Amino acid sequence: MLTTDKVTVKFGGLTAVNQVSVHVEAHRITGLIGPNGAGKTTFFNCISGVYRPNSGSVIFEGNHIEGKKPYQVNRAGISRTYQIINLFKKMNVLENVLVGMHPRLKSGYLSDMFRTPSQRREEKAAYERAYEWLKFVDLQDHALDPAGSLSYGKQRLLEIARSLASTPKLILLDEPAAGMNSKEKEELDELLKRILELGVTVLMVEHDMKLVMGICHYLNVLSEGKLLAKGTPSEIQNNPDVIQAYLGGE
Amino acid sequence: MQKSLANNSLGKKLIAPIAILLALGMPLYVRGAEYPLMLACIIQLYVVAVSGLDILFGYCGQISLGHAAFYAIGAYGSAILHNNFGLPILFTMFVAATLAALVGAVLAIPASKLVFHFLSLATVAFGEIVYQFIVHSPGGITKDFNGIFSARLSIFGFEFSTYRLWYYFGLACVIVFLTAKYFLVHSKTGRAFTAIRENSHAANGMGINVRKYKVMAFATSAFYTAFAGAMYIHLVGYVHPDTFLRKQSVLFLTMLLFGGTGSLTGPILGVISVELLIESLRVLQDYQGFVYGILLLIVIVALPGGLFGGFKNVWNLLAGRLGKRRGGAGAC
Amino acid sequence: MFLRLLISGLVLGGIYSLIALGYSLIYKASGLMSFVQGDVMTLGAYLGLTFYRILGLPFVVSLILTVLCAFAFGMLLEKGVIRVLLNKNVLPIYVVLATIAISYIIQNGVQLGWGSITQYFPSVFSKSSVKVLSVSVQPEALLCVGASLVCMVLLHFFMTRTRFGTAMRAAAMDPTAAYSCGINVSMSTGITWGLSAGLAAIAGMLIGPMYGVYALLGSMIGSKGFSGAVIGGYGNMYGAMVGGILLGLAEVFVTGYISSTYKNLIAYILLITFLFLKPTGLFNERAIQDD
Repeated sequence: MLTTDKVTVKFGGLTAVNQVSVHVEAHRITGLIGPNGAGKTTFFNCISGVYRPNSGSVIFEGNHIEGKKPYQVNRAGISRTYQIINLFKKMNVLENVLVGMHPRLKSGYLSDMFRTPSQRREEKAAYERAYEWLKFVDLQDHALDPAGSLSYGKQRLLEIARSLASTPKLILLDEPAAGMNSKEKEELDELLKRILELGVTVLMVEHDMKLVMGICHYLNVLSEGKLLAKGTPSEIQNNPDVIQAYLGGE
Repeated sequence: MQKSLANNSLGKKLIAPIAILLALGMPLYVRGAEYPLMLACIIQLYVVAVSGLDILFGYCGQISLGHAAFYAIGAYGSAILHNNFGLPILFTMFVAATLAALVGAVLAIPASKLVFHFLSLATVAFGEIVYQFIVHSPGGITKDFNGIFSARLSIFGFEFSTYRLWYYFGLACVIVFLTAKYFLVHSKTGRAFTAIRENSHAANGMGINVRKYKVMAFATSAFYTAFAGAMYIHLVGYVHPDTFLRKQSVLFLTMLLFGGTGSLTGPILGVISVELLIESLRVLQDYQGFVYGILLLIVIVALPGGLFGGFKNVWNLLAGRLGKRRGGAGAC
Repeated sequence: MFLRLLISGLVLGGIYSLIALGYSLIYKASGLMSFVQGDVMTLGAYLGLTFYRILGLPFVVSLILTVLCAFAFGMLLEKGVIRVLLNKNVLPIYVVLATIAISYIIQNGVQLGWGSITQYFPSVFSKSSVKVLSVSVQPEALLCVGASLVCMVLLHFFMTRTRFGTAMRAAAMDPTAAYSCGINVSMSTGITWGLSAGLAAIAGMLIGPMYGVYALLGSMIGSKGFSGAVIGGYGNMYGAMVGGILLGLAEVFVTGYISSTYKNLIAYILLITFLFLKPTGLFNERAIQDD
């Protein structure tokens, strides 16, 4: 579904991501792990269009998407969440999800301004669907609260709901469990399975090894910007290079 | 349920603004109250202008210190189209406002990549450039420093010859523009504006073409303010170029911040309070500008939530106490 | 013709540079834009006029007193208004508006204090003109060019060679790190605002004898000064100097050789062109963020 080929990102003299080639298979949860500063988020930013790779390519469903703007990548069917929560804090929870649905809504500037009957119908349906997404992540009780007022864990769930709302084919989750308590992590584990059932492929960066090893079908390990290893969780757990990188890096 | 979630009750939202504007129309029923009526008319057109600025700044978070330029394009555009080409006035008002929207869009295409301070500089420069073109116009089409005259408003031969008549026209304009603003900000487009204000990077990541929506916000805002400019010239019959100095842009912004951003009522309250303040300071003659500056500074330093943000806090406090005393839930 | 234009271009350019320097210093130190520089220049001209013409003090003494007053004003502005607003965590627009309110206060205040007619600023030198390579110029013009250049050189040495200047640059670059090194960041920001006001006041005293002194003297120069700062690279000290002088020259030469109709357009066209096409300015200052 998604393939990167020798993606390299440099900041000045520093090579943050060095010739990384990974493959994400459809209908699977693929994990991207590695010590802090390994370049995981930078790599994500390359896929989602925040950075343009200095070299290499990103191919999604057969099309090159490297160098596209974030909103174009989103429209191509890749949606994401952020490591540092990036919600629209003063908008309410429901509106955040509605913004996520933006690329799927057809109304335009004039139909919005004059509130044409078709726009009205679409909005009504959109509100209903947004509410469904909130139920999906169990936030329906907070629909009208400002997003900024939610607890940390709930804000992470809202980020997931917001990015699911654009009905992506692939979702990139950047440390979805960060800041969650153990109960919330269990719920996340269950939520990830339900996301997969929707037919959405998942690529996630995560530090919580229990979660990663339990749910991911396939893992890629980054260290110092390079792809160190790849394989199934059990292969990774027994890979001496990975153990070395983690012990040496932490 | 979805209805309440959507919060689509336009009627309710418009009650407060319209009630305020109707109250402004009180002088209609007083004989010979020409001056208060004129003020009510001016307030109405300022409400249109400032509501436009609110779409840009309050909702989309983009600053402009050059809105006087759009105001000027509306006033001069409509006057010239009417004077030189004999087109009917309401039509010229729309054409001039559309022209301003196009200018706004063209300005916004490069300006949209600038953030706050530098966007404000770009809009200052834009405002000055438009002013210079007005006072040194090609072929003297704007009559340069002399200012320009135009006819009072008339629609299909019906002349709005008195403030009394014009007041109704102004009220109709305010209702139309506020309704359109309400529809726009509570829609996909409006949500995109707010998302850009809140976090433009996340908005981009959610599939919003940030530049396109910033351009839309600029164009809409320019249309509103330019239409207000056109209302102005066909109310007063004359404009001088010095109406369109940076001071005017700052005035629009001051009104918006006084009343509070991102609402229907905020611009109305802001316009009324600032306009009445300026009018009442006239008695101070030479000290007018000085005292205005000091009051402005005091409000900014003491009440940065806007004048009515401050009032609202006091109100909420009082309402909360009353509510408790009655033993019920909050009064509002 | 050329030489005459060159000199008046340098005169104007020197003034723009001093104003632009204020903008750049303030932006570097506090990430803010002040819209009051031009009016501080007006205030400086009025103060200088008072010391020099009304109190009859020598020019140099008047200049020093004026600069001290302006410095105090600038610091007071930062401590009494800007800092108060920043501590309240307000939107940056309120800071912008506060400086605009202060500019209204100055514009109207000087009219209340000194009257609304243009005041005559007596000439500084006894000669009314001197010859420079066969062109006769006002000696005040030479003073203006010379003094603004001296200011820039002094500023350069102050910022790079003194402990204090180094501390100010450090505070501007990374306030937290500077603070942990024992630098009084708040004081250094205040001094930056004072310094900027001082530079503007010098500009006012230099331009007074040539233009006369009136309430809106600094208003247009103030907003054109932004252009100089942006041309050089907003936030860059040397950029502001070069940008200001280039702006002065551009304005004078275009007016002299092409047309004077659009004299006041040049600065704004340059400003908007640089913002859109080369926002980092000639010195490639990275202060302007892209979105």
